[in-house]
Amino acid sequence: MATRDAVTVIGRGTHVRGKVAGDGDLEIQGRVDGSVAVDGDVTIEQGGLVASDVSGRRIVVRGAVKGDLTATESIALEEGARVVGDLRAPRVAIVGGLVRGYVQSGDGQGAPRGAVKSAAVARPAVAAKPAVPAAKPAVVAAPAPSAPRAVQASNGSPAARAAQPAPQQVAHVSRERAEAPRAISLAGGAPAAKQGPPPQVVPSLKKGAKGALKKKA
Amino acid sequence: MASTVIGAGITIEGEVTADDDVVVQGTIRGKLTSRDAVTVESGAVVEADVASGPLSVAGAVTGNITSSDRVDLQAGAKVVGNVKATRITIADGAQFKGNVDMDV
Repeated sequence: MATRDAVTVIGRGTHVRGKVAGDGDLEIQGRVDGSVAVDGDVTIEQGGLVASDVSGRRIVVRGAVKGDLTATESIALEEGARVVGDLRAPRVAIVGGLVRGYVQSGDGQGAPRGAVKSAAVARPAVAAKPAVPAAKPAVVAAPAPSAPRAVQASNGSPAARAAQPAPQQVAHVSRERAEAPRAISLAGGAPAAKQGPPPQVVPSLKKGAKGALKKKA
Repeated sequence: MASTVIGAGITIEGEVTADDDVVVQGTIRGKLTSRDAVTVESGAVVEADVASGPLSVAGAVTGNITSSDRVDLQAGAKVVGNVKATRITIADGAQFKGNVDMDV
């Protein structure tokens, strides 16, 4: 069959409301509302908008998707991609773009989604800010309040141990989002030691200052 | 190259609306609307009402056709439905069942 090299293109000015299915490659520059399920490769180009689930062999996104992406081979989010939905594929690459959703890479034989979800409390926070992993990752920010307690408890080991995983986490978040939930659940126990104790909420007063104030009043 | 191509092996169930030309090699069920030219190639199946600019059919179309321009039914085409267009050609070897409405 000559369908392997038959490319289907949904052009810029084209809007499909309904189901797109079959085999062969698909390139979306326009809009699709409904569902996309093909056996070939799916490319959502810049300017393309898909408001539905997408499944294919390899999925490349440079446009916008509101729905779950499922690929039998790989998913690649490139510059300009905006995805709100879950990603599932043996290989997931997030080179650029924005994602909000759950990412599962590997063969999918790992822990079921529910279990991971319950462990990773910070999941929405991570997903919300995926595009700027270097700037101020939510992962590091979250455990900060618990930092001083741990440092006080024993100055040596936990802080030093925590120093190691923290930067690695950041790298994980940017490189492979799939690793993120696990990394975060680890981080919940081990606070980031980089940051010192937060500024005191109540301004410190000298001993006897309160009494002096009272006397004045 | 046409801006929208529905390749062989692809099936769309629903509504397709396009501003530019559309080439159908696969299957569309539902509705097909384009402001520009539509080409239904040999082997393609369109079970939909078609509204378009110039329409060229070499495949199978079941549904009513409305064109703001001309409709060409080529040899091998199979069309069941009413056709409304300014001009229409039916090639020798095309199968056609339906009414033709031209602005006379």
